[in-house]
Amino acid sequence: MTTEQEEPLIVEGRWDIPYRHTAGKAASRFLRELKENKRIVGVRCPKCRRVLVPPRSFCERCFVATEEWVPVQDRGTLDTFTVVFEQFLGMPPPPYCVGMIRLEGADTSLMHYVSEVDMSDLEKAKQNVRVGMKLQAVWKDEREGRISDILYFKPV
Amino acid sequence: MVRRVAVVGVGQTYHEGAKNTQSYYDVVFEAATRALEDAALEKGDIDTVIASGWDVADGRTLSDMYLVPAGAGYLKDSAKAAEDGVLAFAYAYMRVLSGAFDTVMVVAHGHTEHPSELVSNVVFDPFFFRPFGASTITTLALQVCAYAHKYGVTSEQAAGVVVKNRRNALDNPYAHLRSGVSVQDVVRSPPVAWPLRALDCPPRSVGAVALVLTTEERVKRIRPEGVAWVRGIGWAVDGYELGAADLSRLSSLAAAAERAYSMAGVKKPVEEMDVAEVHDITSYHELMAYEALGWAQPGGGARLLEEGVTSRGGKLPANPSGGALSTNLHAGSGLLRVAEAVLQVTGRAGEHQVDGARTALAHGTSAAAGPAAVGNCVVILGRD
Amino acid sequence: MPKRVAIVGVGLTRCSSWRRDVSYPELVYEAVSAALQDAEIGPEAVDAVVYGSMDPFDGLNAPERWCVDACASAGALNKPLLKISTGGTTGGSAALGGYYHVASGMFDVVLVVCSQRVGETLDAQRVLNTAVDPVYERGFGVGAITVGAIQAASHMHRYGTTEEDLARVAVQNHDNSANNPYAHLRFKFTVEDALASRVLSWPLHLSDCCPSSDGACAVIFASEQKAPKLARQPAWVRAAGQITDNYFMGDRPWAEDWDSLAILARRIYRLAKIDNPRREIDVAELYQAFSIQQILEYEALGFCEKGEGAKLIREGVTAMGGELPVCPSGGVLCTNPIGASGLIRVAEAALQVMGKADLRQVPNVKTALAHAWGATIGFHTLMVLDREAP
Repeated sequence: MTTEQEEPLIVEGRWDIPYRHTAGKAASRFLRELKENKRIVGVRCPKCRRVLVPPRSFCERCFVATEEWVPVQDRGTLDTFTVVFEQFLGMPPPPYCVGMIRLEGADTSLMHYVSEVDMSDLEKAKQNVRVGMKLQAVWKDEREGRISDILYFKPV
Repeated sequence: MVRRVAVVGVGQTYHEGAKNTQSYYDVVFEAATRALEDAALEKGDIDTVIASGWDVADGRTLSDMYLVPAGAGYLKDSAKAAEDGVLAFAYAYMRVLSGAFDTVMVVAHGHTEHPSELVSNVVFDPFFFRPFGASTITTLALQVCAYAHKYGVTSEQAAGVVVKNRRNALDNPYAHLRSGVSVQDVVRSPPVAWPLRALDCPPRSVGAVALVLTTEERVKRIRPEGVAWVRGIGWAVDGYELGAADLSRLSSLAAAAERAYSMAGVKKPVEEMDVAEVHDITSYHELMAYEALGWAQPGGGARLLEEGVTSRGGKLPANPSGGALSTNLHAGSGLLRVAEAVLQVTGRAGEHQVDGARTALAHGTSAAAGPAAVGNCVVILGRD
Repeated sequence: MPKRVAIVGVGLTRCSSWRRDVSYPELVYEAVSAALQDAEIGPEAVDAVVYGSMDPFDGLNAPERWCVDACASAGALNKPLLKISTGGTTGGSAALGGYYHVASGMFDVVLVVCSQRVGETLDAQRVLNTAVDPVYERGFGVGAITVGAIQAASHMHRYGTTEEDLARVAVQNHDNSANNPYAHLRFKFTVEDALASRVLSWPLHLSDCCPSSDGACAVIFASEQKAPKLARQPAWVRAAGQITDNYFMGDRPWAEDWDSLAILARRIYRLAKIDNPRREIDVAELYQAFSIQQILEYEALGFCEKGEGAKLIREGVTAMGGELPVCPSGGVLCTNPIGASGLIRVAEAALQVMGKADLRQVPNVKTALAHAWGATIGFHTLMVLDREAP
């Protein structure tokens, strides 16, 4: 049997696997505060005294439990960012800006979208989004206890 | 007396954009076969096999069921490091060093069967990072933005890395992308996750690489000349919380390098290394790597490049193979750096050979799973 | 000759069908904190970390990224970290990883951490189905239970093992898990109850099958120099290894004999200088996702002749108080956070040697065996732990 002329086959695969994810102690409280009190909270490490946002059950540097809850402002500074122009399979449609935002009162920064900014092309994006810019959270009216209860951060 | 371990065989496939006639483990089989041939060994000489890669990327839970037999591992003691092959190399090294095994096969591969950003997006927790499309490229971009902003590194400066590496690949017949690019080509390429443009990012290549390591006693019998001795090795991981990190520096790479240098007795890397293969996971990351490796002060990477120190004819040529920017195996770019370093110190790098190379540094990032170049490994190899 | 290595600390979490009280890093932190406390060391004392989990069971690729700092601040302190993933044997492979880190002479104190949150998967069999070759076999709805059922049907056919024998294995493990506060399933039942439970995949009843569990485990390995300072009675690694059979089960159609395990056992016994395993091993933690596997394991491990495995269970040889107690912890049949289960076997075996197994302690344990299997029943790991250094 000759195989020289045969086209090699490609077999498609797709994983369609549902999950349910446990937020745990720290994240549950954070998300509940977003929903019920429209406020952002962090935890303070008893050892290094950093205020950690998003909060976590233990300080990763000191390896001790973090139980002191501290509210932080819903405004802050943009530490770093990227503007995505490429459509990746399964990822949000471009253009969008994702950044790390240091909220006032926090010692770590939070990932979120930066919006209400003209980033329709690269040149505009470069002009309008800059490290160090001051940002303010824009909240959803109907909140669910998800990070998306903050729609995005906008420049002030 | 610490047992000495050498790389006695190297095998790699020609790396391409697609290999439609081979399954991904067939490609591994090809590389492993070449490594055995290179070492003049047979499959029965292999005591243990360490495979690498990520199941989710391979679309096969327990991908090692396919990879290990392709690496001559049938009925042998094997394992899979769910990492880039460079960390499988570290594990293989420890296995031989322990004395429990004499000869190890390490395999790594890359393919394009998966959507890379979606696969890396599910590394992130579903609460704080995943909803924003956090992925390998976007978090690398955040890191690059922080670095570039802090030190005023321009896209033209970073583009210099791409120009250098893509030019080097012209002399590497195994490389995937073998066409030169100019600075203008890079800075005009479409933005992907700005500040990263398309040409600042590695391609997606299909191929495999395999190495065989063995002990000093066996080397005398297999291949008395032309082996690369492992003189130092170190690896380290970074934290997950991007918001708590100084993204402008590769701290895990600095820690890994310190361990490797210490083990190898290297005090002045730029003087003592003859050639290096560093993991240019983006153009900017090569500059960041220079700094983390202690070749330049923080922010001084671009200057080192501009002074020609890391060019082919420079004091410490970096990525004569073309680097990951020319050939990028998603689970094997790191191991490929080690393979290329081996070829250099054994005088077998053909047209991209750096003359007189006796000591080489290889750096790999276990990147395809994880934020911002979080896991790094450094290996120092020598002719003696 | 590899350097001498011992286990000096163990940390377990309560396992359940869904630990909804904790996030992933919090779960891992629980196990790691317990292990550090057991060895009385702080995070700085850990030289390297080995992490194991079976992706994508948790709906995460590479959970060791998110959980990196739960592993004794590995990320914050830029420690060496290596992830190992080999399916059901992941826990055993990770233990081997930890062992080789120390045996190489490069590290003195190595933390091995394994985790799995099968409770966050809504359909475990669908995940297991992703291990099956997509070109030839994935379309047939094959998962782990079908494979276990085939083993059972073959053994029953060739050696006359009965459904009652399978039920006895289940009853014995459930009797044992009552003593284990970390176990997932902790209720006893009779052979009659077991036989009355519904058949999932003939001849396996619900009682013959492991649960899906959330859990994590941490084990600390130390060098010869450090071990005596960190544990009153370290559990020394006397021998350890793994074997890799090929993928296609059709290449080895005799499902009633577990050849790959028998081959590995011979290699390990030779290394450990064990001539009569039944006499020389005091307790064994075996990996039985399905009751039949415990019977096959007895035979492959040389506790009895081929085909006689059911006799051991009928005669109570492997019950608590018997000649060779198997799974005082209740085994995988009572607790199965898959990527961690192999490490839990090692942890339980270590606790037995260290004399810290509380209510599930077997008296006077000198030598313990820990086992795990995975893949298309072709991967195995074994570790022999002992009161004395080799």
